Amino acid sequence: MKEIKEMRAVTLMCDQLMEKVGCEFVALAMQNEVGPDVRWHYASGNLNDKYKRISVRFGKGIAGKIISSGSPMMMTDFPKGVIGKVTDHPIMLAEKLVSTYAVPLFFNAIPKGVLLIGNRKTTTFSEEDQQRVRETGQALEQILKAQIL
Amino acid sequence: MDVLNSKQQISSYIINSQEEEIKRIALELHEGVGQNLYSILTGLQFIEASEKEPEMKNYVREMSQLIEKTIQEIRLLSVELHPPTLTTLGLLPAMKSYIKLYTSTFGILVDLESSGKEKWISEKNRITVFRVCQEALANIAKYADTSNAKINFIWSESELIISIDDFGKGFQPDETDFNHPSSGLAAMKERMLLTGGQCHISSKIGEGTSIVLSLPLVSRE
Repeated sequence: MKEIKEMRAVTLMCDQLMEKVGCEFVALAMQNEVGPDVRWHYASGNLNDKYKRISVRFGKGIAGKIISSGSPMMMTDFPKGVIGKVTDHPIMLAEKLVSTYAVPLFFNAIPKGVLLIGNRKTTTFSEEDQQRVRETGQALEQILKAQIL
Repeated sequence: MDVLNSKQQISSYIINSQEEEIKRIALELHEGVGQNLYSILTGLQFIEASEKEPEMKNYVREMSQLIEKTIQEIRLLSVELHPPTLTTLGLLPAMKSYIKLYTSTFGILVDLESSGKEKWISEKNRITVFRVCQEALANIAKYADTSNAKINFIWSESELIISIDDFGKGFQPDETDFNHPSSGLAAMKERMLLTGGQCHISSKIGEGTSIVLSLPLVSRE
């Protein structure tokens, strides 16, 4: 599989989403070609390179929950109201995120990726912003389908 | 003095009971649930290999992948709860193994060094020191805002000194109540006191935090 960060169409789409929504952070996690590991392959607006070393745990944190449930998820005021431990949300801690909205990316009807937007302040993402993320997610699925299948 | 000793004994009893329970759950997850899931995975792989219909083959493959992810998570959860290496190989190998998991969880690089000859530590003290190090590393992930940390093990005849340094934002020690019962820092100190050791925490804004643990070493006899 080609490195996602080297796929211009993908990185451009993520950057455009960040601009349209006006958020501070966008990241894309994908399941590795071999094995069940899910990693953050691309991030924009990042404070450091911790995301490159983070392996998303199945069912843990916002990305892990999305991969295991296949449903979008929003957090508006992290760590308030978090079920479980704060340390179950490494990307929030690593990037000092307070609010996020993330959607699953489906390949062969199975969730194998996550597109996440985030802010370092309390935010409730509007229905319009959520729709933008969902649309970008669907467009990314089409681009990445050839790489995954 | 007697009251203090009695309180310490109660704390020690509660902590030990919790650790025993955690160990039991970790073992049950690894040896029980994990093994059963592995049997299911083998069965699914057998079905996949013998299945001719492409759609069904694909479906079984996806099921296998889901089971594989669940096995991996059960294994990580079990190791996180109670690393088997802590009992079999000792404190240092358990820390090395935990640091790998820590880096892949939080993205923070930890440089671990050890000098001097590794000595025997009772299982109770091994667990205590391991938990204090885990707490210190969790605090780094939560508050330090750093990508690097350093752990040093210094073994001598009579004691083990462990220093945990981060190069993060630090905090003002005066404003942090180390002795507040609900504070993680107070719990670290309390745990170390129960081993007969000590825990010293220092921090400076902009320069990071340093935690020094000392554990008296006794011979196995």
